[in-house]
Amino acid sequence: MIPHISSLRQLVQGIHPMEETELEAFLSVWHEVRFKRKEIITSAAELEKYLYFVCDGVQRVYYVNDEGKEATLVFTYPPSFGGVFDAFLQQTPSRYYYETLTASVFLRASFADIQKLMHAHHAVETFMRKGITAAASGLMERITELQCFSAEERFRVLLKRSPHILQLVPHKYLANYLGMDATNFSKLLNRIRI
Amino acid sequence: MQFCRYKIYISMSIDVTTQHLLSELEEKTEKQLQFAISVLQNLNENILQQPSLSGGWSIAQCLWHLNSYGDYYLPKIESRLKAPMYETAIFKSSWLGSRFTRMMLPGNGKYKAFKDHVPPAKPDARKVIATFIQQQEQLILLLRQAKGHNLNRIKIPISISRLIKLKLGDVFSFLVAHNQRHLEQAKRNLN
Repeated sequence: MIPHISSLRQLVQGIHPMEETELEAFLSVWHEVRFKRKEIITSAAELEKYLYFVCDGVQRVYYVNDEGKEATLVFTYPPSFGGVFDAFLQQTPSRYYYETLTASVFLRASFADIQKLMHAHHAVETFMRKGITAAASGLMERITELQCFSAEERFRVLLKRSPHILQLVPHKYLANYLGMDATNFSKLLNRIRI
Repeated sequence: MQFCRYKIYISMSIDVTTQHLLSELEEKTEKQLQFAISVLQNLNENILQQPSLSGGWSIAQCLWHLNSYGDYYLPKIESRLKAPMYETAIFKSSWLGSRFTRMMLPGNGKYKAFKDHVPPAKPDARKVIATFIQQQEQLILLLRQAKGHNLNRIKIPISISRLIKLKLGDVFSFLVAHNQRHLEQAKRNLN
């Protein structure tokens, strides 16, 4: 059996419990891949061929504008799904990059396999819908935080949600995610000790 | 036909040695970077600015010193790696190159920093650490890019005397050993 498949099984059952046969079919299409630090897994203008399940490491989805300014949209870490999910499901070129911020291990499944499973098993389609709904809900929450919360509140929310992230990721990515410059981030870090 | 096969075999075995060096340097840099991310960037300002017990450099000064080398070498390496690849070849350290790297090994003497590499008394500690992390990420990318380049043929003038040039393979080895040396020094300030 592939290592990490049991944590994928657990995550799936937590989102939408399936019958054993459906679950077995779903789990059979995942393969392990490893990346080193700072490897670009998916590039802007490329298709997102895979859905990822993060087994180890931290990654980010980010946008780069014409002047090279970056916007970090989300971090992914275990146990959760990763990749550029809109490009994956629509099979259109990605607007974003997906890159590793630390050495990373994933299980991944191809679009063709996931699509076949969604057609064959209603439970898989429901699982996907619930997964995407949760992701959309997370994004809406984050947009609200970006617009209504003070820098300090955003900083606290991040640390509450992911307490270890300060030790895992260069702070510049966290500052970028929170929409503040590095100096402001440093000031908060000096002031707020968790 | 036989000849062709022979040639392919040779070029593969050549690559393995140089790739091994680059992978080893990348692994060391990865460890150094992990230390900077998990420990250094989370220390408070006072600890970062504290001189060593013997009155030597603070952690911020050690890293400022390393950054001054990165500032000099990394852009030069980057622009050289943009040029089209030469054929790959087995990398052989020069006498001077291996001497510089050896000098950096733990226990091998103390040297006075050269003028441009002497840190100010109180550098902006957070900025220094962020720059160090940024530089190590860049170094890792450059070590990967260097695979397939001829590390003998690309030569870079050294920071303390523009008349002396080192092979790229030696520059990489020196940078990683030098980082190691001063990170060890910074670590001693934490005890």
